[in-house]
Amino acid sequence: MDFDAIVVGSGITGGWVAKELCERGVKTLMIERGRHVNHKTDYMDFVTPWEMPNRGMVPEAEATEHYGIQSQCYAFNAATKQWFVRDSEHPYETPEDRPFLWTRGYHLGGRSLSWGRQTYRLSDYDFNSYKRDGHGADWPIRYADLSPWYDRVERFAGIAGANEGIDQLPDGQFLPPMELNCIEVAFKKKIEQEFPTRRVTTGRCAHLTEPTREHIALGRGPCQLRSHCERGCGYGAYFSSLSATLPAALKTGNLTIVTDAIVEKLDFDQAKKRVSGVRVIDANTKQGRSYQARVVFLCASTLGTAQVLLNSPSEYFPDGLANRSGAVGRHLMDHVSNIGAAGTHPGFLDRYYYGRRPTGFYLPRYINITENEDVDFVRGFAFQGYSSRTTWDRAATQPGIGAELKKQLRSPGRWGMQLIGFGEMLPRADNRVTLHPFRKDRWGIPLLHIDCTHGENERKIAERANRDAVQMLVAAGFENVAPFSTVRSPGGAVHEMGTARMGHDPASSVLNGRNQAHDVPNLFITDGSCMASSGTANPSLTYMALSARAANYAADLLGTGEI
Amino acid sequence: MSVADAKMNRRALLLGAVVLLGGAAALTRFNRKPAGVTSVSGAGMSAEQFALLEQVTEVMIPATDTPGAIAAGVPAFIRQMMSQWASTASRAEIAGILEAVDKAAWAKFGAAFIELPPERRHHILRSFDEDRTGRQDPPYGKFKYLVLAGYYLSEVGATQELRYELIPGAWRACVPFSEIGRATAVG
Repeated sequence: MDFDAIVVGSGITGGWVAKELCERGVKTLMIERGRHVNHKTDYMDFVTPWEMPNRGMVPEAEATEHYGIQSQCYAFNAATKQWFVRDSEHPYETPEDRPFLWTRGYHLGGRSLSWGRQTYRLSDYDFNSYKRDGHGADWPIRYADLSPWYDRVERFAGIAGANEGIDQLPDGQFLPPMELNCIEVAFKKKIEQEFPTRRVTTGRCAHLTEPTREHIALGRGPCQLRSHCERGCGYGAYFSSLSATLPAALKTGNLTIVTDAIVEKLDFDQAKKRVSGVRVIDANTKQGRSYQARVVFLCASTLGTAQVLLNSPSEYFPDGLANRSGAVGRHLMDHVSNIGAAGTHPGFLDRYYYGRRPTGFYLPRYINITENEDVDFVRGFAFQGYSSRTTWDRAATQPGIGAELKKQLRSPGRWGMQLIGFGEMLPRADNRVTLHPFRKDRWGIPLLHIDCTHGENERKIAERANRDAVQMLVAAGFENVAPFSTVRSPGGAVHEMGTARMGHDPASSVLNGRNQAHDVPNLFITDGSCMASSGTANPSLTYMALSARAANYAADLLGTGEI
Repeated sequence: MSVADAKMNRRALLLGAVVLLGGAAALTRFNRKPAGVTSVSGAGMSAEQFALLEQVTEVMIPATDTPGAIAAGVPAFIRQMMSQWASTASRAEIAGILEAVDKAAWAKFGAAFIELPPERRHHILRSFDEDRTGRQDPPYGKFKYLVLAGYYLSEVGATQELRYELIPGAWRACVPFSEIGRATAVG
């Protein structure tokens, strides 16, 4: 065998697994289905607004014909289009009345280039949720298992944030926070007065406010407050596979990367109960080939990993690799999104800010933690928020022309604030992804059929989040307060997870507490598919910690010869 | 050549273009009918439409102590958006707005918009703008957004009229507005 380990996928989790394995001396092959990307030189981050093609707007016909799903993502524009697949080339199916928004990019670094960079720890309120309300399955780990790994990934990734001592939002290893602006400080004060168990803290984010020597050694520099991060950052100021984990892994000399290689299926050796090979199809030539290693990590994303497993049936696993439980592809979750409210404030008109801050504030979950009365649903929601003053674009829908208009627009408009809720979604077995019985992609791989809906609990969460957001904005003196109108379809938060969940019981879960397949000791899965519940926190930081932990465990097993 | 020189030269070029197009506009005096969508050839704009577009955008964002829409390249930007960005439907909507402004000029003053003296152009566009924003007309919103984006995201609009730094380099969370002085072009 040429390699000790194979990592499928180069996004946030694949990058972490590769780094940890390589630093432990494990010869690692990373397989990425998309094209190669050069860090820094392939980004459009030094293009001014006036040099940007069509001022950053993607041609309407192109967006409709090729990016029908992807263009619904807030981060999609002319400068970031290269991080999104063409839906016309990468189709999937859903029932007609049950849309699912699958947002993704096929290229080296994956969605670590275009992610929202918000980074929050889960807490034991999340890991104990099944014990409390009986929904889903119990996590086989607790916060104490993950805490040192959160420490490790936060230090390396570089997370700006403030320690607050909030039980449900554990503190971490933070770089200096990005400060709240004037009106957010006033909002925080008011909310913490009026609602004594609610807290407002600066948005924790994967940005280098003060790089450490370790960051600088990897070629990373401090955040320049440009806030067009989704284009890619030539300063390497936000964490991505390309700015951080892959350079670290490559430094060891133990990493080999192949791109344009689509993993079709994994081979299973029934006698040894091991994955024995990874079959890939060259994205360009469509030629097949295969790779072997002692251990395989699937970090292909929640839906990508489910697709590979389901497409790898064998005599022993007729329903797909590691799928004795039937849980592969099931319990698909996201966060309930486009919930919350927005308003404007009549005051603070003599106040402004300088720079474009790439984060906002965070209001962690309180429902069913510190506020339990008058709640007719389980779990809860948290809010991300930000406040800024409007600029010239406010005039598009308001009357005004001529010299008077110019004069008006020289000053910023009123302060606006948005409270953007993220609601926990319960794991339900019938929210699932399957292989299409006959439709295939251009490489001959069966298409995914995604069938996922919100249930009653999600609807109640959305209603309550809207109500609470309105109430808080009004309490803080905002006007024109209105809840967001429609809950986005599942997938809309781009936090999809759960299709190969961890659990104690091999009969109802796919992975054990080390992200190792219950029935296949040399198969690990550390992308979002491993999640037993969604929590309310943005999940990437948890994926990173689980990846680092599982990779080190696998390195231990390789060392002892157990795999 | 300094940056200021470069800007002056570019402005001179743009103003030169205005004179030329004034000539084209003058031709339309003999073509006494409202500028119609029918004159759109493919994705392009006719000379008449472009002349009208120039005058409409300049009335919307005139030269003051800073350059106006024409000097900032707004008409050329919108023409480019018509051919490179707009869907067939959006093209028709935007052309329809220009046509409607011209019709309003004919209805009120019996002459093409571009033939009117400045105060009458302003009068026509102000009434039109009040009417269309008042009823939140989506095609007009799209048109006005393009004019505003064309201006405020141009180098002139972003850096002379408003403030824009590609690399701010710092976050100052709470600053008196008087210290900054102008709105930022990118929020």
